[in-house]
Amino acid sequence: MSGLIYKNFLINKWSFLFSLITALLCGLVAVLMSIFTGGADSLRQESDAESVTCVFAVLYYLAFMLPSMTTSLLFEADENKTACAFAMSTPQGGKGHVESKYYYILILNIIVMFMLFVCDTITTGLFKGAVSASLILMLFFCWRLFISAIEIPFIIRFGSQRGAAIKGVVVSVLVVIIGIYFLFGDISWLIGTDDPIASFAEWLQSGDITFWISLFPYFAIAAYYISCRISTALFRKGAESYEQ
Amino acid sequence: MSSDRKLTVKRLVIFLVIAFIPFCVIVPIMWSYFGEPIYASENEDAAIPVYILGVFGMMIPSCANIITRLITREGFTRSYLGLHTKGKMGYWAASVFVPVAYSLITLLLIIAVFMGDMGISGALEPPDRGKIGLLLFQAAFSVIVFFPAFGEEWGWRGYMMPKLMELMPKPLAVFVGGIIWGLWHAPLTVAGHNFGVDYPGYPFVGIGLMCLMCVALNAFLTLLTEKTQSVYPAAFCHAVNNNLSWGVFMMMLGKEEALEKMQALPTIQSFFLYFCTVGVVGIISFVLLIKKSDTSAA
Repeated sequence: MSGLIYKNFLINKWSFLFSLITALLCGLVAVLMSIFTGGADSLRQESDAESVTCVFAVLYYLAFMLPSMTTSLLFEADENKTACAFAMSTPQGGKGHVESKYYYILILNIIVMFMLFVCDTITTGLFKGAVSASLILMLFFCWRLFISAIEIPFIIRFGSQRGAAIKGVVVSVLVVIIGIYFLFGDISWLIGTDDPIASFAEWLQSGDITFWISLFPYFAIAAYYISCRISTALFRKGAESYEQ
Repeated sequence: MSSDRKLTVKRLVIFLVIAFIPFCVIVPIMWSYFGEPIYASENEDAAIPVYILGVFGMMIPSCANIITRLITREGFTRSYLGLHTKGKMGYWAASVFVPVAYSLITLLLIIAVFMGDMGISGALEPPDRGKIGLLLFQAAFSVIVFFPAFGEEWGWRGYMMPKLMELMPKPLAVFVGGIIWGLWHAPLTVAGHNFGVDYPGYPFVGIGLMCLMCVALNAFLTLLTEKTQSVYPAAFCHAVNNNLSWGVFMMMLGKEEALEKMQALPTIQSFFLYFCTVGVVGIISFVLLIKKSDTSAA
C-alpha cells in the first residue's frame, strides 16, 4: 500500500506542492494580519474577535478548497485501460489502487490541517486566546472529506470530467437550497441586527443547531469510509468504460 | 557491551538530550523575564508564550526523534508510522474509549470524595441536546489536539520505548520510560503547570506525582504501540486524554454549585484521584505487557 500511496504523491507532486503552498500562504496571511494589526490590542469590542475569526475562517476555507480543484488530476492519470489493468494486476488489486487514492487525499488534508493548525496556534497566542479558529479548521477538514466522499465514486465510475460535473451539480444544489432559505426562510436573526457576524455566531451557539452541527464530523468521516467501499466496488465497472 | 548496544545507548542519549534541552532552557528564561512561575502567572502578557510553548513544546520529542535518526544515520526503519489496523481494531477502539472511561470514573470519584453531600444527582445534571452537541464537538476536536499529542508520542513511544526495551526487560523499560517522561515535564511542573505552585511539598510532590502518572500512562500507551506496531493509537489516546479530561466533563455536565466547589479544590487533590484511576489502567496494561513478553519468550 505504501508503494501505491508513494506513486500518487509522485505523479501528483505539482498539485501536492500547490496545495501545500496555498495552505502556507493562507496561514501566513493570517499570522501577518495578526502581527500587523497589533494582535489582542486591536480588539476593542467583543464582536471584533468574531469578525477576525470570520476572516481567518475564509482564509482557511480557501486553503482547504482551492486544492480540491486538483482532485480530478489525481484520477486523470489512471483513466485508461492499461493503467487499470496494471492496477488490478498488483498484489493489492483494484481495491488497493482505489484505497491509495483515498489515503492520498486524507494525508494531504491532514498535512494542510497541520500547517493551518500551526498558524492558528500562533494567531491564537497573538490574540491572547480571544480569537481561535481551530474548531472551524476541524469542520473545514471534515467538509473537505465530505466533498471528496461524494465526488470520488462518480469520478471512479464515470471518469474525472463527468465526476467533476456531478460534484458541480451537487454543490450548486446546496447553494440553491441555501439561497432559497435566505430568500424565503426565517432570517429574522440576521436582518434584525446591526452586526450580522455576531448574530450568526449567536445563532450557531443557540438551541438545537449545535447538536446537529456537532454530528457533522462523525457523519463526514463515516461518509468518507463508505465512499471508499463504494468506489472500490465501482472500480471494475468504471475501468471497462475507459478508452484504451 | 556489544557494539549494537553501545549504538542504541548513544542514540538514546542523543535523543534525550535533544528532547530535554528546550524546556530546561526556555522555561527558566521565561520565568526570569516575567518574574514569576509562568503557568501560575496572572500576567496577561505571559499568556502568549505560555500558550505557544504548551502546543509546540509537545512536538519537541518528535523533532528529537527526527534529528536523532538523521544525525546517527539510523534512517526511518521501525518508525511506527504504519497503520496496521488488521485484527487490531480492539486496541484502536481502546485508545479512544479507555481515556474517556477513566476520565468519567475520575469525575465520579471526585464527586464521591469531595462532594459527598451533593451526590451524583446533585452535582451533575442530565445533558440536554445542546450540551450533548458541545460534548460531541469537544470529542471531535481531538482531531486537532492529535497533532501535539502525536508530537509527544512519536518521540516517547515511537523512539524512546523501543530503544529502552532493547536495553532492558520490558517491565523495567516501562518504569524507566515513565520516569523519564515525567521528568521531561519537570520544568513545566516547577513553573506551575497542572498543579499550580500552592501545594504542600512544592515542587517535588508535583514532579513525583507526574512521574508516577507517566509510568501508569506509559504502560497503557506502550501496550497500544507494541500491540499495533503503530504510534497512532497512542497519539489518539493522548489526544483524548488531554481533550476530554474529567474537568471538561464537569464543565459540560456539572451543576453550577458543583462546578464552583470543584474549582475551589486544590488541583493536586483531584489529580491524586485521577492518578488512582490511571494507576488501575496502568497495572492492567503492565500485566498484559508482561504476559505478552512471557508468551513471546516461550
